[in-house]
Amino acid sequence: MAVDQLSTTFAALADPTRRAILERLAEGEATVNELADPFPITLQAVSKHLKVLERAGLITRGRTAQLRPSRLEGDALREASDWLDGYRRFWEGSLDRLGEHLQRMQKGAGRD
Amino acid sequence: MTEATAQEITITRTYDAPREAVWSAWTEPEQLVQWWGPPGWSTPLETVTMEVRPGGTFRLTSVSGDGTEMPVVGVYREVVEGERLVLDEPAEQAWHEGSVSVVTFTDLGGGRTEVAIQATIHTTDEMRQNAERGMNATLDRLGEHLGS
Repeated sequence: MAVDQLSTTFAALADPTRRAILERLAEGEATVNELADPFPITLQAVSKHLKVLERAGLITRGRTAQLRPSRLEGDALREASDWLDGYRRFWEGSLDRLGEHLQRMQKGAGRD
Repeated sequence: MTEATAQEITITRTYDAPREAVWSAWTEPEQLVQWWGPPGWSTPLETVTMEVRPGGTFRLTSVSGDGTEMPVVGVYREVVEGERLVLDEPAEQAWHEGSVSVVTFTDLGGGRTEVAIQATIHTTDEMRQNAERGMNATLDRLGEHLGS
């Protein structure tokens, strides 16, 4: 779990408009114009939101077309939903390794 | 300051090792770096500061295979030789408001030891709202789309 990436993701998800944009993108990729349509905000404002989502790794945007359609990236989102699980996995993984370490120590195999 | 709520995680493991050995593994840097962090992570010894006494610093940085760094900065709130460690991690990230981990070492007899970690993670009100409302709703719907 990359903690810094996770905070960026949570900051991105904190905004209701951005969450609505993600929901729209779950139906398929869309251009800025298409995304702006349901919202009473400017194209510039939508572009700003898309930049935040892109930085958070939640979406990717096309490079070729001028319209640069946005697409949802599921992995970052799943990681965010598992954040508490991440904490648990950290400790469980560590404690498993502690068991292996103690076994090595007990066998007198030194500290490697 | 926003209202913070707490989430709790308890994890317990039993080891075939005497309590002193388990305690040493937690309190000696040379041993701690051998096991700290999930599989695939390593913790360079030179990043570790461990002043195992009440008020002492606990600091280290783990590195994953792809170079991602995970620093931990904390303070030993309580140290009871061979029995109990309490680690305070102050709020460093936007997504939590600090955490407290209580590590208890119990001698089960016959050279066996139980380690219990009780971690309390404080989250911001905003974080909780995201998790419980908007985010969950969003995630549920996305989950259906993604087939997860």
